[in-house]
Amino acid sequence: MAKQLGMVIDANACIDCKGCMVACKVANQVPGDNWRNWIKDGAMDRSAKSKKRMVFQPGNCMQCDKPTCVTACPTGATYKSKADGVVMINRDLCIGCGQCIKACPYGARYRNEKLKVADKCDFCSNRREVGLEPACVSTCPTKARAFGDLNDPSSPAGKLYAAQKEEAVQVVNAQSDTDPNIYYLGAPGDKHWPVKAQMPSAFTFWKNVADPGVKVLMGLMGVGVLAMLGKQLVMKNDAPEEHHGEDGHE
Amino acid sequence: MSSRQVPRHTRAGIFIHWFNAACWFFLLVTGVALISNPELNPLGAWYPKAVRAIFFGGENLLVAHWLVAFIWLAVWLVYLFWGMNRLVAPFINSIFTIEPNRDIQWMIKKNLQMTVGYKMMARLVKPLGYDGTMPDQGYYNVGQKLAAQGLIIGGLALVGTGFIMFTSKYFLTAADVWLVQWSITVHFIAAGVTTALLILHIYMAAISSEERPAFISMFTGTVPAEYAKHHHRLWYDELEDSKPSEVG
Ligand code: HEM
Repeated sequence: MAKQLGMVIDANACIDCKGCMVACKVANQVPGDNWRNWIKDGAMDRSAKSKKRMVFQPGNCMQCDKPTCVTACPTGATYKSKADGVVMINRDLCIGCGQCIKACPYGARYRNEKLKVADKCDFCSNRREVGLEPACVSTCPTKARAFGDLNDPSSPAGKLYAAQKEEAVQVVNAQSDTDPNIYYLGAPGDKHWPVKAQMPSAFTFWKNVADPGVKVLMGLMGVGVLAMLGKQLVMKNDAPEEHHGEDGHE
Repeated sequence: MSSRQVPRHTRAGIFIHWFNAACWFFLLVTGVALISNPELNPLGAWYPKAVRAIFFGGENLLVAHWLVAFIWLAVWLVYLFWGMNRLVAPFINSIFTIEPNRDIQWMIKKNLQMTVGYKMMARLVKPLGYDGTMPDQGYYNVGQKLAAQGLIIGGLALVGTGFIMFTSKYFLTAADVWLVQWSITVHFIAAGVTTALLILHIYMAAISSEERPAFISMFTGTVPAEYAKHHHRLWYDELEDSKPSEVG
């Protein structure tokens, strides 16, 4: 099976310390108000048998198998890596249109305030290059986050995933299942993600109106030109000698 | 006698036309290759792949596209300022002057004549109360005028939206990006419409045999007086009328 880097997150282990958020911000030089990861407060479990504890749902880009952000990118600057399944951004090819940001249901993308291009978690590609785990994983004091190839049972995430396939859940919106590669164990709160993936209106207009419109126009022009060419090749020039001649003009 | 030539295009006009055409061609080839998305690819995935390989990567292709666009714009701005009164204003004036009665008739007849020939055209327009002769036209015929109008408006749309896209990575904030998104879509539409017009323009200019003298004039600057008389009678008459003063 192809390599697919992912995470298995034990929500019960998360103590909401925000260490992962800080470590990420530093490791990736994430500017200003931009954040690559988050910890959502789940609703409190108030059922009788619960011990009335808060539930926390740490998250970041889910490196989806059906990434709507990639679908929304006109230039191919954002793509799903064939080598490890991580959704990457080529900053030099990105034109800063922000369609991917809107298309992500998780809000995992932001417009980098400094670079003015789309940006997001790439599982710390800079750290992985030198053999380190993502900063959020390394720093987590309760080891809530396990990282690795989900399809390789010898990786930390793959081991958990293989062992607890039945219990592990994805947090998705039922109407736009992007098949994320972050799985949760324990009690991550509501499994239903409230935001539906949505293509920007400029994109849907391009796809549904502009693209077919231009094709029809091009086709009509092509047919017209071919008709004229055919006539020119087949028919002799039947122009009257002096086609303005006798009637003159006013 | 029939080989007497009359001036049609200035050297500056010829330069800007071919400079513009070369840039436009480059921008079209590179621009289409900047689209790489299975839902939007105009020609299929192979096209951006092939062109990006030639440029050693999509990021270089992007730079090449806006670099040529800026050179194109800079040369145009110089031309516009330098030739505003003498070349540009008269051109714009003639391109946007249309006389509906005469010109609608000309469009109907020309379209028929180009596809079914003069004799058939004469027969087909009879029910409309027209005879088989083409109405006189000025320096440009109305087909050329409409094409030029489309190319000018399309060109302005391309410059405006292209500039907005370019600024995105330098000046705009997250709140402005909807402008960039719509710029991409409008840029695509403007490129599509002007390309359709250019298919026609290039056919008429370079392939259609009737307009051969006009094609040659885009290199030499002159057309045979006979051609001017038959194809642009109103302009020809102006030339003839102004002759004495020209000599004087
Ligand atoms: C192979 C490409 C092209 C050829 C062979 C060509 C040929 C010509 C010729 C022969 C004329 C003069 C017509 C006359 O004197 O009556 C002309 C005019 C003109 N050309 Fe082109 N051209 C080409 C590409 C372009 C491009 C790319 C553009 C702009 C985007 C363009 C815009 C114009 C305009 C605006 C005029 C003046 C008015 C008109 O004829 O519509 N041309 N062209």
